[in-house]
Amino acid sequence: MSTNNRFWRAGLATGAALALAACSSGAAKTTKAAEAPLVIGASVSLTGDFADSGKAVKAGYELWADTVNAKGGVLGRTVQMKIVDDTSSPNQVVTNYQNLINKDKVDLVFGPFSSLLTVPSSQVAKRYGYAFLEPAGGGPAVFAQKLPNLFFVQPAPVVKQGDVFADWVLSLPAAQRPATAAYTELDDPFATPVAEDIRARFEAAGIRTVYKQVYPAETQDFSTIMTKVAAAKPDVLVGGTQSEDAYGQVKSLVQLKFSPKFMFLSNGANSPVEFPDKVGAANTAGIMSSGDWFPASKAHGSDEFAAAYVKKYGGTTDTIDNTSAEAYAAGQLVEEVAAKTGKIDNATVIATLHQGTWPTVLGDLSWDAVGQPSGSFALIQWQNGKLVPVYPAGVAQAQPVSPKPAWGG
Amino acid sequence: MIRGAVFVVTLAVLPLLGLPHWVLNMLVFVLMFAALASAWNLVGGLTGYPSLGHAAFFGIGAYAFALLLHRQTEITDGWQPFAWLPAIGVGTALIGVPIAAIAMRTRADVFAIVTITLLFVVQTLAFNLHGLTGGAQGLSFPVAPFPADTFERPFYYVLLGLLVLAMLLTFGTLRSKVGLALATVRGDEDKARGLGIPVGGAKVLAFAVSVGLTAMVGAVWAYYQVGIIYPQFAVDPLVTIAMVLMVFLGGRGTLWGPVLGAFVLETGQQYLAYELGASQFYLIAYAMIFLLIMLFLPRGVLPSLAGRLR
Amino acid sequence: MHALVQGLILGVLTGGVYALMASGQTLVFGIMKVVNLAQGALVVLGAYLSYQLFVSYGIDPFLAIPVTAVVMFALGVGVHLAVLRPLRREDRAELSLLVTFAVALLIEGVIGVVWNTTRRSINTSYANDSWTVAGYQITVVRFAAFALSAAALGLLILLLHRTRFGRAVRATVQNPESARLLGVRAERVAALGFGLGAATAAAAGSVYGLLYPFNAGSHYDLISLLLSIVVLGGLGSIGGAIAGAMIISVSSAVVASTISPSWAPMTFFVLLLAVLLVRPQGLFGRPA
Repeated sequence: MSTNNRFWRAGLATGAALALAACSSGAAKTTKAAEAPLVIGASVSLTGDFADSGKAVKAGYELWADTVNAKGGVLGRTVQMKIVDDTSSPNQVVTNYQNLINKDKVDLVFGPFSSLLTVPSSQVAKRYGYAFLEPAGGGPAVFAQKLPNLFFVQPAPVVKQGDVFADWVLSLPAAQRPATAAYTELDDPFATPVAEDIRARFEAAGIRTVYKQVYPAETQDFSTIMTKVAAAKPDVLVGGTQSEDAYGQVKSLVQLKFSPKFMFLSNGANSPVEFPDKVGAANTAGIMSSGDWFPASKAHGSDEFAAAYVKKYGGTTDTIDNTSAEAYAAGQLVEEVAAKTGKIDNATVIATLHQGTWPTVLGDLSWDAVGQPSGSFALIQWQNGKLVPVYPAGVAQAQPVSPKPAWGG
Repeated sequence: MIRGAVFVVTLAVLPLLGLPHWVLNMLVFVLMFAALASAWNLVGGLTGYPSLGHAAFFGIGAYAFALLLHRQTEITDGWQPFAWLPAIGVGTALIGVPIAAIAMRTRADVFAIVTITLLFVVQTLAFNLHGLTGGAQGLSFPVAPFPADTFERPFYYVLLGLLVLAMLLTFGTLRSKVGLALATVRGDEDKARGLGIPVGGAKVLAFAVSVGLTAMVGAVWAYYQVGIIYPQFAVDPLVTIAMVLMVFLGGRGTLWGPVLGAFVLETGQQYLAYELGASQFYLIAYAMIFLLIMLFLPRGVLPSLAGRLR
Repeated sequence: MHALVQGLILGVLTGGVYALMASGQTLVFGIMKVVNLAQGALVVLGAYLSYQLFVSYGIDPFLAIPVTAVVMFALGVGVHLAVLRPLRREDRAELSLLVTFAVALLIEGVIGVVWNTTRRSINTSYANDSWTVAGYQITVVRFAAFALSAAALGLLILLLHRTRFGRAVRATVQNPESARLLGVRAERVAALGFGLGAATAAAAGSVYGLLYPFNAGSHYDLISLLLSIVVLGGLGSIGGAIAGAMIISVSSAVVASTISPSWAPMTFFVLLLAVLLVRPQGLFGRPA
């Protein structure tokens, strides 16, 4: 997510789609169902900086629609997803939700990818009384808006993402605990707060900070930062990372031949396909991250989700991105509200979800008044080339391996 | 003159016709970019100095606005924050004066690069001056308290006002001595200087007014962006490039060219990006059309068409 | 002190790669007075070509360069003939900015269609190897990239000084009018020069692909960097491009290692502004 990267992107921003008029193939056709279809609109980034994650969100939404339609839809209504592209732009995302709500008059809306785009779009949804189920915008600014219609469909806010790692480390016997820690943090609303949260808890528990560095989004070369990390010889390295920067940090440490005893990367390391591909499968061993969905999860509808995913998109259950599971869970919530109340409209969704807990592929979810989920993530670790949940005991499928094996396995 | 009056009156009554929100929302963005493009035209079109740094001033306006409201917990009168606009415009214009005085010593192509450099300096500052701007975490401020039914109207009319201001300035400049001076700068700067035309003052003035207008639009944008601004969106090279493309498409140095460019490009992009979604082919198709316009209408739509008709 | 020297090493090694990328850009400007905004996109395209050769046939990116350079040379000549040559001379300086930007978008679009938008990286067997020399760490890839860039630049300079084509190019850079009088066919030199610029982008692309992950949008990162380098060094001067690349790369690496990576991007922009205030034509450029 580089910033210079937006340079010259005007082509996209000022007229790209003009050209499409010529080669468009007409609007999607509506199928004739006994009842009017339930149309759900969402704007995700299919081009631009957030494109890869945006596509994972889209995959999750569409998979849920297929699954629920195979079972007869929601209250007998066929679900139609209308997914549009926001080119990762804040102006386009506002326009898109305006159009979905006021032009196409969709029945419900789901959220976009990234907190940066979630804030403006959730305000548009609120203005027109729409519920805002959003699987990908959990930064502090989202909840600071205090919106009653917003529900973040993940187990916990982004800030709490690292808590489970801190919980586990602090649960270790004193002799096994790290004594020193280094923090490398991407300057970004989803990355910095995670590492800072862990740092506060570690420092309170007496784990000494020997190095801390915040780096800008366009950093491509991590050797400078990692040389300093290696020189500080921390027992634990906590990376507040996003994606490419996580791969860069690992590669750089491998080149430096420095392997910390514990290593936690908030994002990037939880990408089941990209991470081993970029850093080499053998180098993943022992690296930790956090997650909310895993193959063989016992959560509600998880088997069905995994099987449908592999059927529709190929691959194996080990290659399913959490982001798709989170998007799918937003759909499950709609299904459950409809089943419980026998109605499906925005006021019902908002009123109903504020009460009780709701089973999804991510586990049981519940929210406070401003849409902050009150659960927690699971600690996941790379073991034998796979991501497995290792803590807390309730969801663990294996014992955590510590210290982390040396590079190369 | 009559054409101008008809244009303004038409736009002024549009929101009262009960248009749906999505149309008004799109018009807000169109007016925003029409005002920006007209502002850019004062420098890029009239003097021929292609500034690529205007997004820096757009961002300065947006951050100035957010900082002024940052400490408030809520806004009781939604119109009141607009009262800051003149101060933001004048303040930014004053910042623009020394920058122009220095940067305009270079040739036009180097000027383009100096100004884009300025843009990245301002963006880096927005990211790194955490105490002032909140850095990458964004800078939040209260949401405008306008009722949902007429939410777009205030933004619409303020932006229309800024567009009219920019167009009046363009119109006045084209007819005035300053305009004459600027036209000679664009034609042959050294010759103009030799003839004793106050070249330096004219182009610095044009730059200052242009960036002041840009900053005011940036402030309105921040207000419309409901609640929080981030460095990469507030100081966004994309905004600069949009201004440049719109002016080039419509016709450099003309009164109506930037407006036409903004109406065509902004509606085209917003509407079609929404309707047609994402296909990797659209970049290719867009680039092709872009190339064709440049090859066949190199002076922009209005001047080229006028040339053909003559 | 250690951090400073490590920063210097990194800066010099990276600077060599930047210099190679920027040489094509400054060459095109020298010949045609055209700021080529597609140079970054050409570098990224070069990276994708060598990625494909590596993935499909296992050809090492360094060995792939002769192939990709020939392909990209042809492409460069084609681009010149198709979109730059038709521009009227008096419009060229201004419109070439937009036209080459459109070419960059076109290349980005084609890459998006062919290779998708997911980031790619070229993972050779030696990608994670490194040497430690006197306590300083040097990765094999980075060193090889520097050596190759230096060799490619050497070849380019030889070409410009030892061949008839090179003399024609230099005559055109010096003074297009007198070059024409001397029988240099300007349009032909321009087409071949644009091709040569694209060929250097092919070489630089292989190297870039080895060093960093890239996707279709990576050229946005490159172009502002390349512009800064060539303007700092002086538009049209190969020596200036090399000096500019080194200054920018070393200064930002040193700031990143001694102060903070957050301020590194600022360093070279401020440096550029400062130089331009004193010498608007850049370090090695001739006054207009």
